[in-house]
Amino acid sequence: MAGYVVRRVLIMILLLLLLTMAVFFLFSLLPADVARLTCGKICTEQTLALNRARLGLDKSVFEQYWIFLTGLFFGRTFGEGPAAVVCDAPCLGYSFTRNEPVLDLIVDRLPPTIFLAMGAFVLFIIGGVGVGVYSALRRGRWQDKGVMGASLIGYSLPSFFIGLVAIYFIIIRWKLLPFPSYEPPWEDPVGFVQTMILPWVVLAILYAAFYTRLTRSQMLETLNEDYIRTARAKGLPERVVVRKHALRAGLTPIVTAAGLDLAGLLGGAIILETIFSLPGLGSLAVSAVLDPDLSILVGVTLVTATFIIVANLIVDLLYAVIDPRVRLS
Amino acid sequence: MATTESVEAASSASPDGPEEIKGRSLSQIAWGRLKRDKTFIGSCIVLLIVLLVAIFAPFITGLIGVDPYSLDASAISSSGGKPNGPWGGASLDHPLGVEWGTGRDILARLLYGLRISLLIATTATILVVILGTLFGVISGYVRGFTDAAIGRFMDLILAFPFLLIVLALSGAMTQRLTDLGVPEGNASRITYLILVLGIFGWPYLARIVRGEVLSLREREFVESAIAMGASAPRIIFREILPNLWAPILVYATLLLPTYIAVEAALSFLGVGILPPEPSFGAMLSESVQFFQLVPSYLFIPGTVLVIVVVAFNLAGDSVRDALDPKAVK
Amino acid sequence: MVKSKATLAIGIAAGALILAACGGDTSGGESSSAPASSSQGGEATSSPEASPSEAPAPSGEGQAGGTLTILSPAEQILTLDPQVIYTGEDLGFLGATIMRSLTAYQVAPGDAEGTTLVPDMATDTGTASNGGKTWQFTLRDGMKWEDGSPVTCEDVAYGTSRQFDVGLTEGGPVYAVTYLDIPVDKDGNSEYKGPTDGTGQELFDKAVTCDGNTITFNLNQPVPDFNYAVTLGFSAVPAGMATGPEYADKPMSNGPYKIAEYAKGKGGKLVLVRNENWSPESDPYRKAYPDSWVVNFGIEESVADQRVIQSSGEDEFAMVQGLTTASLPIVFEDPTYETRRIDAYDPYTIYAAVNAEKVPDQKCRQAIGVALDREALRLNAGGDFAGDFADGAVKPNIGIDYAPTGLWDGLLGQPVPATGDPEFAKKLLSEGKDCPTEITLDYAQSEDSDKAAAIWVESLARAGITVKPNPIERGQYYGVVFKDANEVMLGGWGADWPNASTVIPPLFVQGWNLSRVDDKAFNEKVKAASVELDRNTQATLWHELSKEAAAQMWIVPTRFGKDQRLAGTKVGPIFSWAAYGSWPYPIMYAAQ
Repeated sequence: MAGYVVRRVLIMILLLLLLTMAVFFLFSLLPADVARLTCGKICTEQTLALNRARLGLDKSVFEQYWIFLTGLFFGRTFGEGPAAVVCDAPCLGYSFTRNEPVLDLIVDRLPPTIFLAMGAFVLFIIGGVGVGVYSALRRGRWQDKGVMGASLIGYSLPSFFIGLVAIYFIIIRWKLLPFPSYEPPWEDPVGFVQTMILPWVVLAILYAAFYTRLTRSQMLETLNEDYIRTARAKGLPERVVVRKHALRAGLTPIVTAAGLDLAGLLGGAIILETIFSLPGLGSLAVSAVLDPDLSILVGVTLVTATFIIVANLIVDLLYAVIDPRVRLS
Repeated sequence: MATTESVEAASSASPDGPEEIKGRSLSQIAWGRLKRDKTFIGSCIVLLIVLLVAIFAPFITGLIGVDPYSLDASAISSSGGKPNGPWGGASLDHPLGVEWGTGRDILARLLYGLRISLLIATTATILVVILGTLFGVISGYVRGFTDAAIGRFMDLILAFPFLLIVLALSGAMTQRLTDLGVPEGNASRITYLILVLGIFGWPYLARIVRGEVLSLREREFVESAIAMGASAPRIIFREILPNLWAPILVYATLLLPTYIAVEAALSFLGVGILPPEPSFGAMLSESVQFFQLVPSYLFIPGTVLVIVVVAFNLAGDSVRDALDPKAVK
Repeated sequence: MVKSKATLAIGIAAGALILAACGGDTSGGESSSAPASSSQGGEATSSPEASPSEAPAPSGEGQAGGTLTILSPAEQILTLDPQVIYTGEDLGFLGATIMRSLTAYQVAPGDAEGTTLVPDMATDTGTASNGGKTWQFTLRDGMKWEDGSPVTCEDVAYGTSRQFDVGLTEGGPVYAVTYLDIPVDKDGNSEYKGPTDGTGQELFDKAVTCDGNTITFNLNQPVPDFNYAVTLGFSAVPAGMATGPEYADKPMSNGPYKIAEYAKGKGGKLVLVRNENWSPESDPYRKAYPDSWVVNFGIEESVADQRVIQSSGEDEFAMVQGLTTASLPIVFEDPTYETRRIDAYDPYTIYAAVNAEKVPDQKCRQAIGVALDREALRLNAGGDFAGDFADGAVKPNIGIDYAPTGLWDGLLGQPVPATGDPEFAKKLLSEGKDCPTEITLDYAQSEDSDKAAAIWVESLARAGITVKPNPIERGQYYGVVFKDANEVMLGGWGADWPNASTVIPPLFVQGWNLSRVDDKAFNEKVKAASVELDRNTQATLWHELSKEAAAQMWIVPTRFGKDQRLAGTKVGPIFSWAAYGSWPYPIMYAAQ
């Protein structure tokens, strides 16, 4: 097991390296003019020239990548002379439209995103898996049909649609909550919960629908397995059969999906952050697309992708723990 | 799930699924079961109607005497552009009412929009199923270096925040496609959407397929087939693939409607279909602005969306049940 | 100025000319603002009577303290650089809070009152001599920057000189470059390259001189309304301060507020708090009632509207800078909102610029305008709320410079109905030389403008012209179309001050020439009109040029625009400030 872990960590590091390369080349080879895309709305010829110099766009792509990579570990300086900007390690880039290192921008935007992701994650895992198991155990009965029907509705509507409808009914029409206005929990706990509760629930509904279905189908699959029949035949109580045997065996795909979903959410729930005016990573990214500010996009993509890659490792390790049938080597 | 945030997690229907396996005994059994399944027949009829309506939209609207582009100033108020009469100005001329501000026919726009949404979602889903199954099976069956290489490649693709990438690359990629000879405008936008949904969507399915294949390889019937010296293609097609249809189909039934939602989300964020072409997504996102005053803007596309999604999923569930060799009927 | 919210206007209809003594009040912060009134004559639904009801907003007495909030769908304020700010809303808001100028517009309801020039940093509205070629302003005592250092004459000169730094302040007003007596090279570029470059500094120092507290501008031609021009881009910047592009985010304030926080993008905000170094004695113009201002960015438009409509909790102190068409019936069909809504003519003419380089033939351009269904466009923009059909670039509320051009009443040979005339358009197309049958339409993307594009497609198709819509992200729009223009670009322009010299030259000669017009004869006539000193003669010249421009169809004028907005129940006073078509920011307060 220890060897496996070490090997996976090494692979992860390699993957992260590949990632920096993929992100860098994706964003420097696709656009026609990188300088323009780092220049923001009011883009003058002077700023363009300045950004070209700062980013070293006259150098070869590989040289640029090398500078980018060393910047990650040792920091870098953009441009020279009085206009030079120092970016300390780990330097994810520097936003010339906002005059701040990208890392600082991202760190500022992380807390709301983390709160949103964690809250929704807890809700949708508990809700989704619980309801899925319940539904599977009542397969074909009206409870099952009701749950499946509800989960159909759950993911049949786009997130922005549910979000806006929720705002309309809960906030505008019935006035159950004030309009969302994010404050950190340590400054205004009540306001924080009032703002977050709706995005949490909306996100949870959307994701729970998927987990309900997945859990149900996994359960149904495993409940039909021979070893479950054996367990039942041995006279084990149904509770133990479900928990110890069926659920555990059916967990693998659920853990896989959950790990990746959580990591994806930590990269920002773009649409819901936009709708609920949460100053998170997702809304930062949308703004960077509109600005346009390629440096921010590169930074956010890197950070989010790193989350996902790390989550992947954790999922793989859990996978091995949950399902011993999967051989480690 | 899959909200638009994590589309990757969703799944989709491969309409060609049942056909492809026709002629094999299992599918004959399944077909027998399906023919007796009222839910399946019902949802298939609904889907067939939706499909026909979408395909023959120009003919149908021509018959009613409406089209999605013509302006009708007589149907809207001269102060504010609000449709005359309740339900968005529904009348004999405009059965489902007209659009705010222009008086364009809602029914016609709905049908034409449905057409484009279905085109994008279906094509992208087929792409995902083909790529996902292919790489998933190769990866899970061959294992070793190939598995590792494909796995890392998938990790890399999966690591990219999906919606962010779709947004960030839209401008540059659409331009690239135009350079490659795809006609400018909606043709290249639609192509871009299909490609980007397919390319960034398949690894999710591939992971699930790979997980299943890994599990299946450990199963007695596969091991015995290997022991008996069966060839790899034979094992894949005879022993493994038949056991994969269920998860693939479940995934596919979930993915297709999700892609309809993604298309809507992209319209919401401003990367959708170009006007004056109607888009399902644009209609939904626009309804939110008006639905306090004209609730039918919400209900009409909302209802159609729910019907389509529910039908896909019910059909998918039935197919899964029917394909399940162990299903007790 | 640029539509996005911009500049100045003078009265069209003298509906309710409520006099408000404002501006010069020295008694320490009493603004006797008038009762709420939709400033320019109640055309459409609005025009509330003065109602001293229970709503505190219109009651008129300014109250100090509290926070006022602006809910903005935008991602940021375009720029905070005093030499680049050019949209009316920003000029109004930033001018009221962090950026002072030599002169300013009186803050009062009514077209004439709201565009009356009053002193700001200067002690009066300036003195002209030398036949209008020399202008002098004397600065007030006791003005300070947020760091406590005094605001000097040199600071004003330095700020002005930044207009010449084209790289830095591109997109901003250029009146200093146009009017200051500094030689130009053979390409027409100024020999002075701005303070950073420093080339030609001595030329600038000769044109703008400081004598103690008095600044003198030497001009290259008589400019009788130069004291209006100094409201645009002549604001002070600490002399010698190295200012790069980042100054657009972190300017030094000399107004009653300073920046405490500025985070762009969705979920971001601009927070302005009191500037302790500002003293009311040195600034009788600004009331500075609230303790702070907050601009919330990236709020979904319909959500922002709803928040202000409901006006509960903190949103009692919130306002929006425009309403979506969907909110108009809610707000204007219910008398509840009478005391906190505005429906007024703004300074803008809405038009479509036709690229003269790509469509060089006049008949072809005319065909485009003739085929267009302007009625459908107006309906889509809100019908009566959207304004009236335009007949040229110059808007009636500019005053004497407007005269009907008759564009749609026979100027083109026959009258053109508002819904367009496809047959006439076809005829023009057949007469024109090499008329394009396929054109691309550039526009700033939004749900409403997508529909407008569809109307273009439909109505021009009737005349056999294929239109390809090209939506461009709102924030980048003007940047893109100034670089690569297609055949037609949607836009809006308002006069910088009540003289067509701020409309016709920028649109058709230089400044905001989206149409890429380069007509030698026309340029000569514009020049002649610009230097004409007799105001009535000048007006007549503008009338003729406006007519000529209309017939050339360099732009297809579609509407003389109107503007609607709404504030929370505890925001006051409520009226449209005619100078900028904006909220009356300098005298706004949060009722307690």
